[in-house]
This record gives sequence, structure tokens and C-alpha cells, in this order.
Amino acid sequence: MDSFIQQLINGITLGGIYALIALGYTMVYGVIQLINFAHGEFFAAGGYVGVIFLSFFTGLGYMETHPILCLTASFALAMMYCAYLAIGVEKIAYKPLRKEARLAALLSALGVSIFLSNGLMLTQGVYDKAYPSELFQGGFSFGIITIGYLQVLIVCLTGALLVALNLLVFKTKIGMAMRATAQDKTMSALVAIGSNKIISLTFGIGAGLAAAAGIMVGLYYGSVRYDMGFLPGIKAFSAAVLGGIGNITGAMLGGLIIGMVEIFGAGYISGEYKDVFAFIILIGVLYFKPTGIMGENIDDTRV
Amino acid sequence: MIQEFKKIWKQYAITMLWLLGLLWPLLGIHPDGTLSFKQTVNVWSYIFAGTFICFIFYIINKSGNFEFFTKPVVNTSQKLGDIVQAMPSWIWKSALLIGAIIYPILTGRYPTDVVINVLLYICLGLGLYVVVGLAGMLDLGHIAFYGVGAYTYAILNVQYGIGFWVCFPLAGLTACIAGCIVGYPTLRMRGDYLAIVTLGFGEIVRIILNNWMSLTNGPNGILGVKTIGILRPVMENGLTFEIFWVKKLEYFYYFALALAILTIIAVTRINFSRIGRALEAIREDETAAELMGVNTFYYKLLAYAMGAVFAGFAGALFAARMKFVSPESFTFLESVMVLSMVVLGGMSSIPGIILGVIALIVLPEVFRELESYRMLVFGLTMIIMMLFRPSGLIAAKRKKMMETKS
Amino acid sequence: MSKKIFSIMVMALLTTLFIISTASAESLKIGSMSPLTGPYASDGTDIKNGVLTAIEVFEKQEGGIPGYDKIELFPQDDVCDPRNAVAAANKLINLKVVGVIGAYCSSCTIPASETLDEAKIVMITPASTNEQVTDRGLPYMFRMCGRDDDQAPAAAKFMKESLNAKTIFIIDDKTTYSQGLADGVSKNCKALGMNVVTHDHVNQGDKDFSAVLTKVKGANPDILYMSLQGYSPAALMSIQAKRMGIKAQIVTQDAVFQPKYMEVAKEAAEGVYLTYGFTDPTTPEYKAFQQIYEPKYGKIAAYATYAYDSTIALLKAIKAAGSTDPDKIKAELMKLEFNGASKHIKFKENGDSGSSYIAFKVVKGEFVPYWEPTNGLIK
Repeated sequence: MDSFIQQLINGITLGGIYALIALGYTMVYGVIQLINFAHGEFFAAGGYVGVIFLSFFTGLGYMETHPILCLTASFALAMMYCAYLAIGVEKIAYKPLRKEARLAALLSALGVSIFLSNGLMLTQGVYDKAYPSELFQGGFSFGIITIGYLQVLIVCLTGALLVALNLLVFKTKIGMAMRATAQDKTMSALVAIGSNKIISLTFGIGAGLAAAAGIMVGLYYGSVRYDMGFLPGIKAFSAAVLGGIGNITGAMLGGLIIGMVEIFGAGYISGEYKDVFAFIILIGVLYFKPTGIMGENIDDTRV
Repeated sequence: MIQEFKKIWKQYAITMLWLLGLLWPLLGIHPDGTLSFKQTVNVWSYIFAGTFICFIFYIINKSGNFEFFTKPVVNTSQKLGDIVQAMPSWIWKSALLIGAIIYPILTGRYPTDVVINVLLYICLGLGLYVVVGLAGMLDLGHIAFYGVGAYTYAILNVQYGIGFWVCFPLAGLTACIAGCIVGYPTLRMRGDYLAIVTLGFGEIVRIILNNWMSLTNGPNGILGVKTIGILRPVMENGLTFEIFWVKKLEYFYYFALALAILTIIAVTRINFSRIGRALEAIREDETAAELMGVNTFYYKLLAYAMGAVFAGFAGALFAARMKFVSPESFTFLESVMVLSMVVLGGMSSIPGIILGVIALIVLPEVFRELESYRMLVFGLTMIIMMLFRPSGLIAAKRKKMMETKS
Repeated sequence: MSKKIFSIMVMALLTTLFIISTASAESLKIGSMSPLTGPYASDGTDIKNGVLTAIEVFEKQEGGIPGYDKIELFPQDDVCDPRNAVAAANKLINLKVVGVIGAYCSSCTIPASETLDEAKIVMITPASTNEQVTDRGLPYMFRMCGRDDDQAPAAAKFMKESLNAKTIFIIDDKTTYSQGLADGVSKNCKALGMNVVTHDHVNQGDKDFSAVLTKVKGANPDILYMSLQGYSPAALMSIQAKRMGIKAQIVTQDAVFQPKYMEVAKEAAEGVYLTYGFTDPTTPEYKAFQQIYEPKYGKIAAYATYAYDSTIALLKAIKAAGSTDPDKIKAELMKLEFNGASKHIKFKENGDSGSSYIAFKVVKGEFVPYWEPTNGLIK
């Protein structure tokens, strides 16, 4: 029983990480219907920039005096950096292809993904980069169950971002413009919505979320790696689709389900087949509900 | 000239500044709490110098200053094209064929090896073309069928000693069955939902290959797969046959060539047959197609099965060539590469896909000299190719087809 | 029209390929094969750096090879993918290299060596420990590192004799190397009367090991044996194990012998044991290697040393043979006996060079020799 609760906690944490990446994925998808393969690389870049700033502050000695401030600053700077990166990438590699077949942008996204992960490898070295480890280590323990502070932080951050994003998309003018752009770019342009600006903004927000996820992962696992974006990218894509792609709450739900299935699969059935279980659940859900858990029905033209 | 290209100059300048801003945090902020600019500027100036030269060439070319050179080239190639078009098609087809046949004799081992890869990927790419290009179903797990074909031959050969020619159709058959298994539950799904399910199937196949120790020997892979054996007549003491093992790469090349030609012919036939028309109808509008009496269920399944069969054949040949199979060859990235070949080729014509395959197989080999910069440059090339040829190397004849979001 | 321009461009690409592949210079050419991109780029780069250092040291110490101006290296990227490995091997054949150092992954070494064997090119692997690498009986295949079936008994013996272990939990990450070794350890431990509680698996590229570590915590074994490919997952697992409060002693293997492991895992690495071929860092051979390597590429990692020794062995054999004839080089390699940076090198009949695995312990961020199979604890 104890180990069941521990596995549940593990599952929620892993699910939270997937959800955090999937949120950005699904935002971008919701607006321009692009499977952004490079999203995983934004996530890795965020992790790297986070560790660069954190160790910079450590080197300056601010880390000991104002740890929270430094951490917040690193978060903010990494998110800004990734937003800057993503907006540039969108302008260079995706915008010119917006009018073309969707698969053209997919290919370009793959190129960006390969380019960015190798760029990270060449500028940051082939070895893992360690995070300063003093932050938020330790945790609560009840009997043999342990909950790290970071696990709590991940879940809280995911929840907070979910609420914030839902508010942004459904309660603000910008959100309304986003939804309008997602539905019909021409029409929204006619009612004076600058779709280019909205798309840039969406990319910026999505990449900022990925950067936050990158730093959380770096803190939680202790290190970052240039190729760390690839697998979580696929998982987050699966999570976003499972939840109904384009749907923010769905992405969160999808992330949690995939994280849980992996942990319970590995914990109780077999470690080497855990991804198979995750994909079987995914296929099963999509078989009975072809548009994902929370997805609305897509019309034929969008196929 | 500067006035004329003001917009492009501006874009270029902004891009370079953006890159500088991108590089500096990665290179200029050090863990000891110091900031530096020298390294960043150094790296940046190399990139700047490189791209600037390319850019200048691009501008000069655009403004027509290279016409003295490009025009004759274009003219002659156009003339050549006209001549080729005027000729009956069998002439240039046989010329191409002869070129392909003498290719390994003219070149060395390494170019032959690269072209064998190209030929195998042509089979894969054309198989995927049936699924993605004709039927409009996004498939991110195509490499799984290649893997199934390769493992079918490897297992049957190593464990049961069955020869290549028996296994070859069996590899196609198992891949076909796998295709139907994948195809069946996915028929209700569309677009990206379909993509993720095929991705899932591809990964499931790879994980099973990596874990089913008793059948596939897991990550160790299957060693000692026999190459193709053919019966060769021997004229000593009457007419007898002996088994000739195709060990040399050059001989193997011809098998790959034969398979690729067969695939090209088969896919061309499918393209212009009832099945091809039905698949195109499904791609353009599934509901309308169904109303017109196209059995969408049957044809979509058929598209999967056909795509899988070609991949399975290619897989069996791959196993025979490598004499070794291991799950590392069948990763998700390979699936995406095959899809990229189809997309880069324009998704709509067989010559286009062949060009796409050539580009994406040969380019990483060309970039081999760059060592660790190889994949960086490859990624960049992919973006640039897409920016310059957004609708593929050979664009679709019918514009409408590209406009529909597939 | 533009269609044709593109066809011309592709043709031009193809021709440049041939021009590049046929370019030649007056130098002795050797090749290396290792993953320079992709997930194993760190180990692959270590191998390349080791080979480059060896060439530099050899030219300085022995004055190069008579008849050639210089020794030229052609490093090839195999991405740890069999198809790329065979392409790289064919490229090296075309470049007419005399010998090849590589590859890293056993699944690349095996098909690449078959290809190189057709062209009779000597291949020395610094990193592929799978038995099948040399057990296939290829005449030109040599191995500088140890074998899985050498390491497994040493590890089992160490856990039994030095750590007095009774129960052991094995985790591997499903690669040729890690799984082969884990199976060997499991077999040997059972033979020595230890109880293998579970032999569990994780997947390559995983970052989160909490599920399997929860199982470890529940089973509460004496030893947690991690057989993971590379230092990176090992560091992740050590950190997570420490965080979970797992009491079991962690024992691991030679892929983790990389100073970056301590850098990433920090205090979680303290007290971890690992088995690795005995290397004496005080010998002049090691110092010569260290002097050139460390200022250029940073701290020495496991495969860099083996790559260095492989290259020195190859170059020595070529010099002794006085020609580039593969059979003569092979004969000289067989005769060769010298002190390398990692160990005393003498190739056996099947191409293995043997190894003497000892246990190291991580103390204050350094690998310290701790135990050896014959005499027990090292003082």
C-alpha cells in the first residue's frame, strides 16, 4: 500500500512534467495547427539557459544571499530567452510556409529541431550540465513515503499555469483574438486582429512554458542534456493528442494519464514495456473517442 | 541594387542580430560570474561571414548578374529537356537504366553503398507515398513495417535456415499483416490523431523488437543473417546448379536496383489505376468519396497494406545486406526521415519522391566531413530547402491538391 | 524549368560526393568511428579525442611512420546506428585507410567490422564489450577494452567478497552492452550463492526512474547493481536513489568511469563502487597521454584511454610491419607487447586484449582503486 501511494506520487510528478511541456505544445497547435517538433528543443534550451543563469548567479555569490530572487530571475530570463528564440524561429522557418501544405511546415519544424539540438550540443558541450544542487532538495516523509519539495513545486506550477492559461484564453481580449485566429485567419484579420502578432505571441507563450518546464526538469533531475528534448517532445505530443489537441485542460489531463500509466506500468507490470502501455492506452482512447478526451469534433476540412 | 533588395537586406540584418542575441547567453555567460563577448562575437562573425557570402551570391543571382552563366546553363538544360521530351520515353528510360547498371562499375564502394541506401529508401518512400501522398493519411510509424520485414527474414533465416527467396514474399506478407493491424483501428481517425496513433504503433513495434528476447534477441540484434543466394548454372560435367552467395556489394546493388525498379513500376501502376483514383478521392474529400460509392474502409486498409508490403520487401533486403539486424535501425527518427523524403519530394509525384530520397540520404553523407557539425548543417539545409521549395522539389501539377490540408 | 535546375543541383551534389571521397594526400590514413552526434555523442567525442591525442603523442615520441609525412585521421560519425556505421565503414574503405579505431556501440561494431573485413582492414574497438565482437572469428577484429564476460565475474566476486552482499537488485537499460553485462552479473551472482531479487529494465533515454526505484526501496536489497549505458543515466539514477532514501549500496560498471559522473551526481555519487579495468595513473605512458589530453579536452574518461591505446597499438604495428599490408599488420599486432596508458597490452589469439577488472570507489569526487580480485582490498 505504501509503495502504491509512492508510485501514485511518482506518477503525478512525471505526469505534471509531461503536462507542463504539453501545455505549450497544445497552445501552438491550437492556433496554427502545426505539430511543432522543435517544441522539445525549446524545452531543452530553457533548461540550459536556466542552468547558465543559475550558475552565473552562484558565481556572483547572489545565490547564497537571495536564493528565491535568483531562482525567479533565472526562470524569467530563461522564459524570455525561449520566447525570443521561438518567435525568431517562427518568423524564419514557419511563417513563410503558413500558406503551404501543413506538412511543409512539419518538415521545416523537424529541421529546426535537428538544428537546435545540435546547436545546443556544439555551444554547450556534449556532456551533461549539472544544476546547482542545493535548491529545494529534501522533502516531507511519512513512513517510507517521501515527497520532495520539487515534486510539490512541479505539481503546483502545472496547476497554476493551467488556471492562468485558461483565464488568458477564455477571459481576456488576447485570448479571444487567439481563438479567433485559430478558427479563421482571414476572417480575424478582417475584424482587425493582427494574426501575425497573435501567432508570435502564442509561440512566445508556448516556448516560455517549455522553458519553465525545462528548468523544473533540470532542478528535479539534477542535470540537463542537449538531447533531452526529443523524448519528452514525443510524450508531450502524445499527451496533447490524448487530451484532445488544442485543448489546454485536455493537455494537462493527457499528460497526467501518460505519466501515471508509465509509472504504474513500470512499477507493477514491466519496466521495459512501460511505453507500450502508454501507447496502448493512447490508441485505445483514440479508438473509442477519435478526437481525444476533451477534443471537440473536427470538421472534415481540417483533416 | 541595395535599393532593390532593401527588404531582404533588412530581414537579413535582423536575422543576424537575432542570432547574436541568441548566441550570447549560451556562450558569454560563465558560471564563475563573469560575462564575456569575445567568444560570442568570434563564433558569430564566422557565421556572419559564411552566410554573408551566400547571401551576396543570392542577391547577385536574383538581380540577374549571373545570367551570363546561368542563362546558357538553363537554356541548354531546357533544350535537353525538350529533346528528352520529344524522344520516345523508352529511350531516356533505358538510358537511365544503363546509367544505373554501370554505376557501380564506374564508382567505388562507398558511392555504391550510399546508392544502395537510396534504393532501399526509395522503396520505403514510395510505400509511404501510397499512404500519405495518395490516401492523405499522415503516417509517422512507417519504419515499423521495414523493421517487421527485416526481422521476418532474419528470424526465419537464422532460426529455421530458410533461404532468402522463400522469406522475401513472407516478409512482405508479415509486413502486410502488420499494416492491416495498424490500419484497422486507425481508420476512424483523421489528421494528427492518426499521426500519433501510427507513431504509437511504430514505437510499440520497436519496443517489442528490443524486448522480446526469445524471438528477436533483444538489443543484441540477430547476427549471421545469410545474404541472398542464387542458383548459378555450372557447365562442368553437364549442367548443374550451384548456390552463389551474393556477397559483393556491387552484386547486391543490382538486387536493390531491381527491387526499386519493381516498386517504381508497381506504384506507378497503382497511381493510375482505379485504386489510385479511389485513394485520391478519399484524400480530397472522404465523405464525398463515400457518397460516390468508394468503399473508404477497404481502400484505406488497402493503402496501408500496400505501403507496408513495399517496406517489408525493402526490410528483407536490408537484413540480407547488413547480415545483421538490431532495433536501433528502426527508430522514430527514421520514420520521420522517410516522411520528410516524401514531403520534400512534393508528396505527389514519383520522380519527386526519388529526388527527396536522394537529397535526404546523400546530404548527411556529403556532410560527413563536417564531423560533429554534420547534423547541424543538415538541419539547416532542411529548413532552407523547405523555404526555397515550399511545395517540394517537384511540386504537384494540380495546385489544388497542395492547398488542401492533408 | 526549375525542376531541371534542381535535378542538376542534385547531380552536382553527387559529383561533389565523389570528388570528396576520392581526394587524396600523401599521408598515412587511419579512420575512427564513433557517434559524434546523437545521444552518445559524449562518449564518441571522447574516443575521437583519444585517437587524436595518440597520433600527436606517437608522432612526437616515435617520430611518425617512415615513408609518410604525417598521420591523418578521418573521424566518422556513426550516430550509433548500424546503417550509418556501414556507410562510414565503406567511406573509410574508399579513403583507403590502413586501420580503423571504433566503433562505440556493439551494434555498430558488428556490422561495420563485417564490411571492413571484406576489404581486409584492421579494426580495433576501444569500447564495444559484447562477446560477439571477437567471438565471430573475424581475422582483423581486435578489442582494447574488456569483455562483458570478464567484467561480470569480477563484479560478482567483488560484491560477494568485499561487500558481503546477500541480496542484489539488478537494473539495466536494454542496450546490447548493459543487458549483456547485467545478464552476466545475474548469472555469476546466482552461482556465488547470492540472491538476485529482481532483474528489472528501464529504457534508453529515460530520465525518470522513480517507479523502479520505488520497487528497489520495497525490496530493500543489499546491493543495487546499475548497468546503464553511459554516465548520464547513471548519474540521474544515483541522484534519484539518494533522494528516495534507498539504503542499498550502489555498484555499477565501466561505462560510468567518466569524471562527469561525479560532476553531475555530486554527493549522490559518493561511495558508489564501479568495476573498471585497472589503470595505473602513475606510469610514464599514462602521464604522456594525460599531458597532451587534459589541457585540450578536459578530464580523461574511460573510452578516451582505450581509444588512445588502440591507436598507439595500431601505429606501432604499422611501423613494425613497415608496410600497409593488412596481414603483416595483423601479424605485428599479434606480436606486439607494450605498456599502454590503460594496461599492459598483449593481444590474444581471438583479438581480445584481456583486462584485469578491479573495483573503484568514488571518494570526494575521485575514482579511487578499492579492491582487486586476487588480493582483495587495495590500500
